[in-house]
Amino acid sequence: MRLADRIGAVASAAADYPWLGDLTAENILRWIKLELGDLLREGEPPEYGRQRCLAQPLSPILHVVSGNTPHAALQSLIRGIIVGAKNRMKLPQGGLPEVDGFSLRLPPALRPELAVQLDPSWARDAEAVVVYGSDETVQEFSQRLLPTQRLLAHGHKISFGLIWGSYDRMVVDGAARDVFVFDQLGCLSPQFYYVAGDSEGFASLLAEHLEELCLASPATRRGYEIAAALRGCREEWKFRAATEPGVVVWESTGTLDWVVIHDPGSAPAANPLHRTIFVRPMPSELESAVAPIRPQISTIGLHPVNLESVRQAIRLGAQRVCRIGQMQNPPLTWHHDGWPTLASLVRYVDIEGMG
Amino acid sequence: MIGSLETEILRFLSEPSEDKFEPLALTVFEHQRRKNPVYASYCEFLGTPQRVASWKDIPGVPQQAFKHAELRSFPIEQTRAEFRTSGTTGEGYGKHFFQSLRLYETAVQRCWDFFQLPRHNFVALMQHPDDAPFSSLCRMGGFLTDFQRECFFITRNGSLEIDRLKDRLSEREKPLTLFGTALAFLNLMEQVPNLRVKLPPGSIAMETGGFKGSGREIAKRELYDRLSGQFGITTDSLWNEYGMTELSSQFYSYGLNRPHRAPLWMKFLIIDPNTNEEAPSGERGLLRIFDLANLWSVLAIQTQDLAIAQADGGFLLLGRDPGALPRGCSRAMDELLQLVRG
Repeated sequence: MRLADRIGAVASAAADYPWLGDLTAENILRWIKLELGDLLREGEPPEYGRQRCLAQPLSPILHVVSGNTPHAALQSLIRGIIVGAKNRMKLPQGGLPEVDGFSLRLPPALRPELAVQLDPSWARDAEAVVVYGSDETVQEFSQRLLPTQRLLAHGHKISFGLIWGSYDRMVVDGAARDVFVFDQLGCLSPQFYYVAGDSEGFASLLAEHLEELCLASPATRRGYEIAAALRGCREEWKFRAATEPGVVVWESTGTLDWVVIHDPGSAPAANPLHRTIFVRPMPSELESAVAPIRPQISTIGLHPVNLESVRQAIRLGAQRVCRIGQMQNPPLTWHHDGWPTLASLVRYVDIEGMG
Repeated sequence: MIGSLETEILRFLSEPSEDKFEPLALTVFEHQRRKNPVYASYCEFLGTPQRVASWKDIPGVPQQAFKHAELRSFPIEQTRAEFRTSGTTGEGYGKHFFQSLRLYETAVQRCWDFFQLPRHNFVALMQHPDDAPFSSLCRMGGFLTDFQRECFFITRNGSLEIDRLKDRLSEREKPLTLFGTALAFLNLMEQVPNLRVKLPPGSIAMETGGFKGSGREIAKRELYDRLSGQFGITTDSLWNEYGMTELSSQFYSYGLNRPHRAPLWMKFLIIDPNTNEEAPSGERGLLRIFDLANLWSVLAIQTQDLAIAQADGGFLLLGRDPGALPRGCSRAMDELLQLVRG
């Protein structure tokens, strides 16, 4: 299928999924132009320095997706379709209904092959393998692949926010929404906020906003294993709140909808997610405080966003920096985990002597 | 007062009776609340009244609390023993302090009496307590063996004494009692894969500790099949001890798919993690344990293990919840062994 048709098909299917962002045909074209220039177009290869060049899809692409957010799975699939690859997707146990629904909105020629059980030939035949999941999953796949196969690994990531200076209601509301969306299970979901100034006051306001959001859209009853992890975390921190100065816990009443934990310490702690958010005072040695998680840092949300705060976030190891409240809304053109998302799925063919 | 309370519990351990559990539990709770400032703060935080009506209302301290605070119900200068969790989570280790180990020892002995577990000819796949002074499991092994060094088959530096163990296992005249962490058994099977003995009738193997956090895990059924095959005993002669550093008593089960039970000085509740209330009958939930022998710290511990109550008064253990941070004495032992083997 031609590029223009693929773009049209994706834009049409994505129209029913507003949480995928503004995936109009025009925006997709702009995205392609930004990453690949004219190298993806059919027809005469464009000039590229002293030669000509074309971008050819790595195909087939095997997408191994996790069950925490359908967002990442669809993004990955869309990228594969746009570059023109044949797509195969290994779904998590239990499947992903959003992927099924999206596929059915595509023309048959663009539909991915979907399976919960991985056919070994899929891994063997793939020219590129995109893996989302735990570090163990990524490790497992990396061992199966040949050096000639391209692995795009999206392992465990941690995102967090930095609140410098004064903030208003909008900032707190944005911070709450960043936690709320996707039940905090995405790699862009903040796991903690460092707050300069009155961190406990910020935590209290954050709790109010999370309560409002969850009243409007309560979480479904958690499965036993998840509920057990959440309960264990809450009770541990409530014990600490009872016995350690500065530890304060705000929680949803009678449910496991959300919990805000004010921790006067600076070190990131284990977080069972599902709207469990830690608020900590801004450490005097910020770089040292986050050094243990530096390789896993994805997005750092900022307030305010200015040259100084951005430079600080980059020094910490951020792969993406954005305004608090926008952590879950990366633009189409973002570099997921620091890579170009389309250009990573193609091979460049250099053509010399064509004139 | 404290002496008499300890004596009273010791008496209960020797002559347990259902109707005396609750009054004694409430007395211990009130004592601990008076003497243990950390626990008192926690009860106050939870809004627990000074006096509660039922043992079920006694607040359970999260197991993780032992990593964050010293839950001591006696003056610090009277500390006579300290057990530590393995500290494999990077958050440090939990500490359990004792003014005396009389209750601990008696609970261990009476538990084994209750289940009519043999205590002769011990083969302890663990270090001697002198070599691991902070290990509650090794101390337990000490109590059960009168601290006889020849019963212990893991050296101070953590290596398994294979030759001595083989010799011991080849003595076929009297039944043996093998006791160690599941990982110690696994290490033994890996190091001596062709080990095949037929232990005398009446022999048992007691495993404990699980595999969580070790990076190695086999299903209980597979472990029991292998143990049964290698030691020539039935799976019903294989026992599991479910205990933890934060407690003074243990639950036991034997064979596969059988519930864990304990004598009358231990009770449990299944807590619905969604509501933090007692789960409806037959529902799974988090195990909250009440152990009268835990006089020196806190009576009630909220674990992170999922279980289902059974009609016979026991519980079916579903394992540690996957979200819980890995921990376990088994892990510490395994790490030690791995380290030694290089």
